[in-house]
Amino acid sequence: MSGAAAAYAVGLASDMAIMSMLALSAYLMLLVGRVSFGQQAFFGLGAYASGVMSVMFQAPLGLALAAGAAFGALCSWLLALPTLRLSGLHYAVATLAFGEMARIALGWWHWQRPGDDGPVGPAGIEGFRDIRWLLENDVSPAGYLGLTLLVLLCVLAVLMRAERLRLGVGLRMIGQDDTLAAAQGIAVNRLRLFAAALAGGLAALGGGMYAHRTTYIEPAVFDPMLGVHAVGYALLGGLGTALGPLLGVMLDLGLLDASRLLPGWRMVIFGGLVALFLRWRPRGLLDEALVHRIATAWPRRGHHPVVPDRKE
Amino acid sequence: MTDWLQTTIDGLLDGGSYAIVGLGLSLMFGSLRRLNLAYGATAMLAAYLGAWLHARHHAPVWLVAVTVVASATVIGWYVERLCFAGTRDDAAQPRGAPIAGADGREVVALASSFAIWMQLEQLAVNLLPRHLNAFPSLAASGDWALGELLIRPDRLLVALLAAGLVLGLAAWLERSRAGLAWRAAADHRSAAHLSGMPVARLQTAAFSVACALSGVAAFAVLSLDGQVTPMFGMWVLLKGLVAAMLGGLGSVRGVLWGGLLLGVVEAHAQSLFGAQGREFATYALLFVVLVAPWRRGERGALSGGLRA
Repeated sequence: MSGAAAAYAVGLASDMAIMSMLALSAYLMLLVGRVSFGQQAFFGLGAYASGVMSVMFQAPLGLALAAGAAFGALCSWLLALPTLRLSGLHYAVATLAFGEMARIALGWWHWQRPGDDGPVGPAGIEGFRDIRWLLENDVSPAGYLGLTLLVLLCVLAVLMRAERLRLGVGLRMIGQDDTLAAAQGIAVNRLRLFAAALAGGLAALGGGMYAHRTTYIEPAVFDPMLGVHAVGYALLGGLGTALGPLLGVMLDLGLLDASRLLPGWRMVIFGGLVALFLRWRPRGLLDEALVHRIATAWPRRGHHPVVPDRKE
Repeated sequence: MTDWLQTTIDGLLDGGSYAIVGLGLSLMFGSLRRLNLAYGATAMLAAYLGAWLHARHHAPVWLVAVTVVASATVIGWYVERLCFAGTRDDAAQPRGAPIAGADGREVVALASSFAIWMQLEQLAVNLLPRHLNAFPSLAASGDWALGELLIRPDRLLVALLAAGLVLGLAAWLERSRAGLAWRAAADHRSAAHLSGMPVARLQTAAFSVACALSGVAAFAVLSLDGQVTPMFGMWVLLKGLVAAMLGGLGSVRGVLWGGLLLGVVEAHAQSLFGAQGREFATYALLFVVLVAPWRRGERGALSGGLRA
């Protein structure tokens, strides 16, 4: 493979890994029965927070990413408090409104300090330039891809493990029917707050990795289209397992790549296919029934704890 | 004081545009209880077809108007078949119950109408790839002076059209037998079905009327500016959604008040904080209305059925 093609492949793989974090965050919200059109806000807040940590306070990358994730989780938890009792549609619109408020507010934020060549730091709608930790510390794009994949694998391992615990079963029960879950003794509100905080943290972690990969972020990147795509990836890939959102990301970004032959018609074909596809498979490719069938066909892994209900 | 009054009047006139845009969305939600994310894209593609006729074939204004309304209806029918026909509640599920959480079909309808939004928008851009496209302009050249206050007559006309459509539709829903049937089918699907009403046909009819209204709105709003851009779809959906949400989704008269409130708040936010402030105010208003503790009691009613 030539150098340019290899660099391109590394870039695409990094983008996929980072988008997967956002898609996983939308997936977590969908698990507890919430459609959130505001996950891009936590992605953006995490990107800004970790960028500020590494540029303004010269923190190492790990600390910057952790701080960004913690900040995203906190913001998501704070947003979940007043929206806890909203119905599905009202919740979706409230998160959309929050996401746009956050985007506009980031456009007002000026905080700069003098750097080596000119001032650095968030500069309103001009964006936040020179998040150069990777360059300053000689991390190659391939090395960074390895780091991103490692983080993604850890997140996946934790999520897939958690889904087999009481915690994961409880989250799924809330998503299926919150009244019934409450009647079974599940702390619905507490688990929803927990899921929101976790989802916000995941999105913010992805945002931090995005900021350090591109070295430049601006509020316009974090528009609702980003969040809606994340929800679309999770729905397309499937809600049966945490691998579903990853499959959705690969399908879309892969197709995007493959369909450069017919520019302009990609969305026409892809949009129609998605709508048709959701009619016969409303919970995505890897839905609960399929995951259950795979899990039972593979006896060593034992029973998947969730009994699927295709009627839902 | 004059400035303040002038800002308020400008806001009220803008609010007319928001109300006319939100009317179709509210009617759609009221009758299907599903949010159609492709609503703005439907209006946009219809407007692009009109602009295409206008620019390439020099069609007269009346033909453009007819094309926009008719194609919005046809495109809306396509959206309904693809995204909503298979996702309606079963008769076994009572429609009277407020939505608890996002049930599966609601999520699917949201996702598939979003995919169709992308599709329609792309089709429109393929039809007319330029960013600015000419649209028949009916803008008035001068302002009317009312003492020191200025009123743009074309905007006033759109605001009056919005008020007329809203009040007319509300009266029709309230007084006529067909309006009663629409409300019954929206309120309780199975009860309406048991009373011998063709529920699916009524809902399709309401959906088609809502799409035609979006075509009327697109023509009225765009003829003020004399141009259409690819941002129009997003604009229609967002402004319409905020206006409809402020008035209570599914409420026809509420859209008028919601639109006017949005217009006035935006106009004042703009005069105080500039263009970014205007945008922020839109979302802040929406957010506060959604989470406001004093509306907790009516929330069940807020999300239920079609009301005049």
